[in-house]
Amino acid sequence: MAKSMEQLMEVIDRIPNESAKPGEYILPELMAIAVAHEVRNDDIVFAGTGLPMVGIMAANFTNAPKATLIYESGICDGKTMHVPMSVCDQRAANQSSTLGGLVDTFGYYLQQGFVTLGFLGGAAIDKYGGVNVTSIGDYYKPSHRFTGSGGNADIGTMAKRVAYIILQEKRRFLERNDYTTTPGWWCWDHKTKEWKPKREVWKNTPFADCGPSAVVTNMGVYRFDKNGIIYLETYHPGVTVEKVKEGCGFELNVSKVKGETTHPTYRELFVLREFVDPELIFLPQKTEYPAAIQAIIDK
Amino acid sequence: MPRIRGESKTAEILTLEDAVKKYMKNGIQVAYSGFTGFNRNPVAFAWETARQGIKDLHVIDRHGSCCTWILNAVNAIKIYETDWMGWGEMAGKLDVNLNRSYLQGKVILEDYSHGAMAMRFLAGAVGAPFIPYYAPLGSDLYDVKYDALGKAGLRTGKNPKIAKKKFIQMEEPFWGDGDVVLLPSAKPDLAVIHVAQAGDKGTAKWRGVGTIDKEISFACDKVVVIAEEIVPEAEMRKLPEANQIPYFTVDAIVECPWGAFPSAVPFYYDYDAPFMRGMDAASRNETDMKKWVDEWIFGPKNWEDFLVKLGSKKLLDLRADSVTGYSTRMMRGKKPAPRMKMALSVARSGY
Repeated sequence: MAKSMEQLMEVIDRIPNESAKPGEYILPELMAIAVAHEVRNDDIVFAGTGLPMVGIMAANFTNAPKATLIYESGICDGKTMHVPMSVCDQRAANQSSTLGGLVDTFGYYLQQGFVTLGFLGGAAIDKYGGVNVTSIGDYYKPSHRFTGSGGNADIGTMAKRVAYIILQEKRRFLERNDYTTTPGWWCWDHKTKEWKPKREVWKNTPFADCGPSAVVTNMGVYRFDKNGIIYLETYHPGVTVEKVKEGCGFELNVSKVKGETTHPTYRELFVLREFVDPELIFLPQKTEYPAAIQAIIDK
Repeated sequence: MPRIRGESKTAEILTLEDAVKKYMKNGIQVAYSGFTGFNRNPVAFAWETARQGIKDLHVIDRHGSCCTWILNAVNAIKIYETDWMGWGEMAGKLDVNLNRSYLQGKVILEDYSHGAMAMRFLAGAVGAPFIPYYAPLGSDLYDVKYDALGKAGLRTGKNPKIAKKKFIQMEEPFWGDGDVVLLPSAKPDLAVIHVAQAGDKGTAKWRGVGTIDKEISFACDKVVVIAEEIVPEAEMRKLPEANQIPYFTVDAIVECPWGAFPSAVPFYYDYDAPFMRGMDAASRNETDMKKWVDEWIFGPKNWEDFLVKLGSKKLLDLRADSVTGYSTRMMRGKKPAPRMKMALSVARSGY
């Protein structure tokens, strides 16, 4: 007989917290867990829909049990039972500390400086961590139009640390974006029409040191050096540094590569599959556990 | 900006048809309640607006929704001031048809950011002409060459609902806290707010997230409240701290059960993701779009008929649990929702 959720909960600590092998998990799972690893236990995280949300929910079971999750529609520290499909889903509001609206989340929490980590998506990114979610080509006659900012530009500039999850392709990893929705460590000073470090444009504001700290893609995990330029930290299993460079529209700094991205552990995969997204809304499929792990679950 | 009022409003109870007839006019500026296509969109009102052939709307909203999707499906939108032209998140992100209208030049699109739009409505709500906000300095959102309404020659001051500037970046004058952006308040002609309950005098409340619906209600000249149920005003006074909208802001109340479908009304019914995916699929080409419009917008005789067409099975699946406020029966992904006694992250990690 299938186990109840409560019975499955009792199994968590018996599942070995050791790396799964390639083939025992799928790429979205690796990415979701890479997201989880960005979260610290004392973080207040402002996250967007999709893998950021899934990864942070997983972190609440594993490496960051006390991290607080804020959803832009007005939800403060929701404790979900069922994975939300949107940041306004009533599922996300379950057991929340308070429930307000956008003025609460963007004003009282974000502009007031409470948010320590923003986790966002992006359509294209430049080498300074500037993100484009607006348009490709001429703004008024775009060859491709995306949804536009949403909360990206606000969260991406006012959270202390900002992490992005992006699909990496040569045309999405750029020297300079066609349109900068969310400025990275370098951006235009529209008053003087100069391309400048963000710290100068935001000089004296409380947010001058807030900005991108990590990027998770389907190929690797990236960070930013002291000049605000992106570098590769780890590449995912099955990907080579050469392949990563090919998926990059600029000369990528690979001098600081530490090696492969940590594989998700069996325990992390168990959390993700059984407790975060058992309805398979964000994860496209459920992969089988190795026999030894399945035996522990069934016991 | 404040509107000094000589006399107070008295909310009238109207049918959906009559409320649209009385309050929707060609070319007005309108804001809708809810959050994306998922939560408390006044869909029935937008649907009836489409049916009555209202045109040239200036929609000012922090993001797209089922309302903007439907209005654009019948080419009723002329100007769209927003920060996110998506509508359905995981059920169809970018509004494909709206994007088509934009690329064809039928719609003028003005981009802001989500926080910026919230602040603009907050300013409108408290009667402030503008509001300072930091984000996002250095973004192309605040490059004057990307001021779409200005480029279209609409920032002349002739239209009292369109600010003379998209923004002003200035040095913060009081504390020396760097540069800040001044944003014009939002003060549309009409707010359409979908709520759970309204008293027969107009006091209204919802459960779940508030998004910026309270701010919208105060920022707009006229307010139409669409309620799942109208109850005696005395009921609303039993737990007044649960209410958000005082009666004196409300012009009209419409009782319209399931009026937010396919978006959710927490504790009443859930969103219908498969239905929204169907809308998204239909919007991928103009033939399917037209078919969808004929079938779902102009096909039913009235909103009740629309619900009958959906069928009782659908409504049963979407009915919210009284404890969680959402449905645990409906299929959202590839597997059914598991049953559990409490949030398991709490069981494991506490608060």
